[in-house]
Amino acid sequence: MSWETVIGLEIHVQLSTKSKLFSGGSTKFGAESNTHVDLIDMGLPGVLPVANREAFYKAIRFGLATGANINQTSSFDRKNYFYPDLPKGYQITQMTQPIVEKGSIKITVDDYDKEINITRAHLEEDAGKSIHDMFEGETGVDLNRAGTPLLEIVSEPEISSAKEAVAYFKAIRQLVTFLDICDGNMAQGSMRCDVNVSIKKSGDKELGTRAELKNINSFKFIEKAINFEIDRQIRLIENGESVVQETRLYDSEKNETRSMRSKEEANDYRYFPCPDLLPVIISDKELKEIKENLPELPEEKEIRYINEIGLDESEAKIISSSKTMANMFEAASSKTDDAKLVAKWLVGDISALLNKDNIDIDESNLSAENFGILIERISDGTISGKIAKSVLEEVWETASDVDEIIQSKGLVQIQDESILEDIAKKVIESNPNQVSAYKAGKDKLFGFFVGQIMKETQGKANPKAVNEILKDLLK
Amino acid sequence: MDKKTVTTISYLSRLKIDNENEQKIINDLSNIIEFVDQLNDVDTSEIDPLANPLEKTAKTRKDIVTAKNLKKKLLEVAPSANEDYFLVPRVVE
Repeated sequence: MSWETVIGLEIHVQLSTKSKLFSGGSTKFGAESNTHVDLIDMGLPGVLPVANREAFYKAIRFGLATGANINQTSSFDRKNYFYPDLPKGYQITQMTQPIVEKGSIKITVDDYDKEINITRAHLEEDAGKSIHDMFEGETGVDLNRAGTPLLEIVSEPEISSAKEAVAYFKAIRQLVTFLDICDGNMAQGSMRCDVNVSIKKSGDKELGTRAELKNINSFKFIEKAINFEIDRQIRLIENGESVVQETRLYDSEKNETRSMRSKEEANDYRYFPCPDLLPVIISDKELKEIKENLPELPEEKEIRYINEIGLDESEAKIISSSKTMANMFEAASSKTDDAKLVAKWLVGDISALLNKDNIDIDESNLSAENFGILIERISDGTISGKIAKSVLEEVWETASDVDEIIQSKGLVQIQDESILEDIAKKVIESNPNQVSAYKAGKDKLFGFFVGQIMKETQGKANPKAVNEILKDLLK
Repeated sequence: MDKKTVTTISYLSRLKIDNENEQKIINDLSNIIEFVDQLNDVDTSEIDPLANPLEKTAKTRKDIVTAKNLKKKLLEVAPSANEDYFLVPRVVE
């Protein structure tokens, strides 16, 4: 029997506003517990929420970038449930009139592209944080996060494998960071994801019963959790049992999903329009302004890099895929005329260093200015590519200035032909055997002479000049 | 409105209903629903749902942090707290 997998994702994106969705509380991450809590976040009696307009603007940017409909009139509803980190006993969300509907995004998996439709993206407030393991018999509650604006992005159930789910998540992350509406920091929970998984017999029209996997916050775990869940569901059905519609928690340590019965007992959120909030109306003028100020998106960058700067397709793809890489590329390129060389180094040596240290480029010691100067010194012949590598490594460790390193270590390339010629003559004189072997037809020995000259000059000789001089002398 | 519905709603809203009051509440709720049900007689097919009876649009805020650190005061008024967190009976996942 062969099975098809049907997956839909709900991604919660924390919008990077300074203040909360309905209060003037700060959204800054990592503050001391319960210090960013306003009376509104506490849900104290007599307070009224007032919507943060910037959250709407950020949501609209996402909508425009995914070709979605923007509902210029959108309203809020209450989703009622009890949990200690939700002080009001309800979450304010957009059920009936979400700000964004019907968009789509392109994903790339191995060797194919696929368009995934986005059902809706709506604004809602985040809950606080429960701390279960710190107190004997009690749960601690930190409400700093309560009320932080989230954009919940709901995909159509059009994703057919764990790999596609990861690609979709990555595409959304790339987009929201380029749009500057979310920092994309998964470790800090800025993006979290619920996954709906079901299976059906190949060719069946009707969807199977789905399980919802909650709150997964890394690419690796999305893939593992989905694959575990697919296997579990297939096993159940092939053993004559059936899948129960329920919420399941992924345990990354045991690599398994397990039932969270508690939440399912009576899953009825009794949505109704929030009487505290009037509909928010976005004017044509506001919409137009947001549209005009949309930043250049990854795909547009990629095309520009190829057509206008002349990068290879693969280079353009790698650089445009991350906002920090693209920023570095553009800033460094403005310091030198050789943007192509900037790209080569970014994709080559610098990517290797980033992988080794497992960091993002904006966490490294390399500034765009320093990087641009390094490339400029290679292209104006001050240093060789080989020396540049060691300069880069030093900058990587110490963040020192490129020109200072070159000066203080005397790394300036030797271009002066008369100096190089003297060194070449010395090398030839002291290696008579190699010279006669070379002249007898052993061409490969040419590299030996180049190597000797490099050794004499500690790698500072200009390789092109050395080649010419040697050819001349060994005629 | 039957006993089962009332039991479910009272669980969801964490409101306890005494046994002796149960039948009275079922009757009251039935009467309320019957009263509101009169609205079903009106043809609303051409009318958009109303998010709010005030025919106005929302005032909104600029994205500015205005809240002060109220940690001490807020924890003080909580039924149970230590110096850093609100405390509730253990919730196990």
